[in-house]
Amino acid sequence: MRYIKRVILPLLCCVLVLSGCSSPFVEDNTVEEVAPVTFWSLNKGENGKLEITTLVPPIMNEKKRLFTLDVDLLKQGKKEFNLKFYRELKLGQLRMLLINENLAKKEVISLINTILSDPDVSPRLYLVLVKGNFEEYLEKEKNEKKNLDYFLYRMFRHYERRNQGEMTIVNIHEFMEKVYSPYSDPVLPIFKVNEKKFTYEGTAFFKKNDYVGSVKDMEDQMFQLLANDHYLKNLPLSPLKVSLGQVRSRVHMKVDRNYKTLSIKVHVKGRIDEYRGHRNILSSSEMRKLNKDIESYLQGQSMDLVKKTQKLKAEPLEVGAHTLSPLLQPMSRKEWLNYYENMKVKVDYIVKIEPLSL
Amino acid sequence: MFWKKKKAATSQEEKEKKTSVPHEAVTLEAFKKITAKMDDAEIVQRQTNSGIPFSLVYIQTLIDHERFNESIVNPIIHSTNKQFVQCIATCKVIKVSSMEEAKNHLLIGCVLVQDVEKNEWWAIKLENPLSRAIENSETETIVYGPKDSFTERVEHNLYMIRRRLPLTELKTEKFQVGSLTKTQVQLLYIEGIANPDIVDIARKNISEVNFDLILESSNLSAFMDDHTNSLFPQSLQTDRPDSCAYSLGLGKLVILLGNTPFALIAPITFFHLFQSPEDYVHRWVIASFLRTLRYLSFLIAILLIPLYVALATHHYQMIPLQILYVMMESRSKLPFTPFWEALIMMVIIEIIKEASLRMPTKTSQTIGIIGGIVIGQAAVEAGFASKVLIVLVGISAIASFLVPNYLVTKATTVIQFLFLILSSFIGILGIALGLILLLAHLNGLSSLKQPFFAPVAPLHWKDWNDLFVRIPLPWIKQRPQYLQPLQKWRVKRRRGSNEQ
Repeated sequence: MRYIKRVILPLLCCVLVLSGCSSPFVEDNTVEEVAPVTFWSLNKGENGKLEITTLVPPIMNEKKRLFTLDVDLLKQGKKEFNLKFYRELKLGQLRMLLINENLAKKEVISLINTILSDPDVSPRLYLVLVKGNFEEYLEKEKNEKKNLDYFLYRMFRHYERRNQGEMTIVNIHEFMEKVYSPYSDPVLPIFKVNEKKFTYEGTAFFKKNDYVGSVKDMEDQMFQLLANDHYLKNLPLSPLKVSLGQVRSRVHMKVDRNYKTLSIKVHVKGRIDEYRGHRNILSSSEMRKLNKDIESYLQGQSMDLVKKTQKLKAEPLEVGAHTLSPLLQPMSRKEWLNYYENMKVKVDYIVKIEPLSL
Repeated sequence: MFWKKKKAATSQEEKEKKTSVPHEAVTLEAFKKITAKMDDAEIVQRQTNSGIPFSLVYIQTLIDHERFNESIVNPIIHSTNKQFVQCIATCKVIKVSSMEEAKNHLLIGCVLVQDVEKNEWWAIKLENPLSRAIENSETETIVYGPKDSFTERVEHNLYMIRRRLPLTELKTEKFQVGSLTKTQVQLLYIEGIANPDIVDIARKNISEVNFDLILESSNLSAFMDDHTNSLFPQSLQTDRPDSCAYSLGLGKLVILLGNTPFALIAPITFFHLFQSPEDYVHRWVIASFLRTLRYLSFLIAILLIPLYVALATHHYQMIPLQILYVMMESRSKLPFTPFWEALIMMVIIEIIKEASLRMPTKTSQTIGIIGGIVIGQAAVEAGFASKVLIVLVGISAIASFLVPNYLVTKATTVIQFLFLILSSFIGILGIALGLILLLAHLNGLSSLKQPFFAPVAPLHWKDWNDLFVRIPLPWIKQRPQYLQPLQKWRVKRRRGSNEQ
């Protein structure tokens, strides 16, 4: 003990300090020596391969370069990128995974599983479906916008935190949670991209591993109201020439005992932000008529959305969860989807317009 | 084993008995011998008006000359009484029987008077009350509240406490420590509140001090501390009489030392080191906020730079993306690793801190400017340190000064260095390990055998009302439980006051 105190401990301290306290046990990730990757764009490559694209380096003052690789495995891509760049590319700051629509039709889950099981990757990884050539867009924009990747990440983060219902934002955990739940199917935001624009288009529906379809415009808004955020900062109803603001919905779904009818009752609260129609909404009777019009319009749009999901045999609305009961054995997913496909749907809207907003 | 010890102790006593010499007779010759080569020692032989010879022995630098003439020389000379010592009414007169005793009296500022006819020696205490005036406390400054602080004289200090606690229960016990310094020590406690077991421990600790030089209260605390190797002080040094009075009222002990304006308060806990006298001056919300800020500052002071090193070296993935960009840009052209960069800057900051403390005020301002602006800015521009680190070092240095206890401020520096090494070695895991070790160490400490980490461990929930926050004073109705005071309640209760 005395020997340890007098000799070994001081010696150990000296060795520690002289070696700059660099540990042989922990990975050295000195910030200026690594190049953190902020996004991966995955595309369908030639001969059944994967095409991985990323933008390096992330430091503001250096010139950006677009790196693309054709690989069989994601990890292979991770390794080969390092051979092309003077710094080690690290996945610890991977924040976005942009999957091309063509690739998504073939496979998504195995790719996401690989990323999810990587301990380096953070849980805040946004998943996005891209329609069009994202690489072309990047190539053009990288010289004009210095930190394009960073700004895209900030955009996703902003909409995720604010929950305004403008767009569907999904992170890797939310996606995988739905993949492995029997009565729910995952969704992803779908962005349309060309040389000049990167535009939100709607929500993509998945049926387990397969991308089966998408909704956009009004149907996407209905999806936000019924199943996603239950809140829309702004809901323009152009056929009625009215725009509702601060719209909040409460949704009650009920499946009858024979699984023949699905009743959806939606309570909507909001206010009129803009009206350019012919009714005099200052009159209470006219206002009531407008209210009826809004209810029947929303009802029709919601019916369309539900029917679309029935047709796709997909469960983004998680209707199946309403069949569960403590006294009944849960049915299999396949069995439920067969019921769901042929179910009669009844949607009932109760819209309450805040009077003070007028 | 025990037998051996006992035997050893007995043989020691026997040895002391053998070596002890019989009391030497008090004579002028003996005084001449011991005061040889002492220029300030005086041996005077005079006669009273009635012709009775007498001798005076004193050290002129230690005594009050005005009082010497007025109270001793004049009364004796004009005395007609044969028992001339009786005419000295204003001073306490002690009969001296041995040379050892006489020597001790002489050295603490007594005048020794010899009645030559009867060959009797008397000691009259006439110490020069040379002392600075009572001034503001410089170490624990507060805006509102009492401004007086202790001086180097124990009597003054005791008076300042007694003025605040006019109680006969306030007991004082005198000790003398230091074989060369003969420092006067007074142990203060309130009988009936302070736990006698704790008083016994303190009494035993003080009387067992065996050292030649006890010049300062921290010298004494070094012998009284239960854990000498710890970075944390186990007794609180204060120069504020109000703090001492408050602590005595809670059931703690105060130790006053001669020749130092700092008293020791014990037993204390780790959390006392973060309490300022101003906590009881402010409104409770503000006091709680400031106290919380102090704990936070302590954590910032010990963890901020190690955290920077851990993140920059091992865990880049934990840094928010926008900060990562700033860090990477800031560090992209530096020649040093984060560890060396931080170590160099921390050492420089410590040099600046020490230099500005030791220098006169005007020079220290210049040093502050040179250190802060020239070295900080120049280091960044020369590429030796990153801008991020300079900001963090600044925050950390200022945060370390928020802790009111200066000894803890210095301890934070050492802890920070240890955390820096651990964080650089194994990253966040090292910091976690360091925190565990720190908590374990704090938990293992004790102050006068009372737990140092109380009331967190052992848990005393009731003491939490004056721990991280300070609840309104009227609600703090009980004395701290960890002190086991004899009177638990601070308020008079309806059914029989001061119930146990």
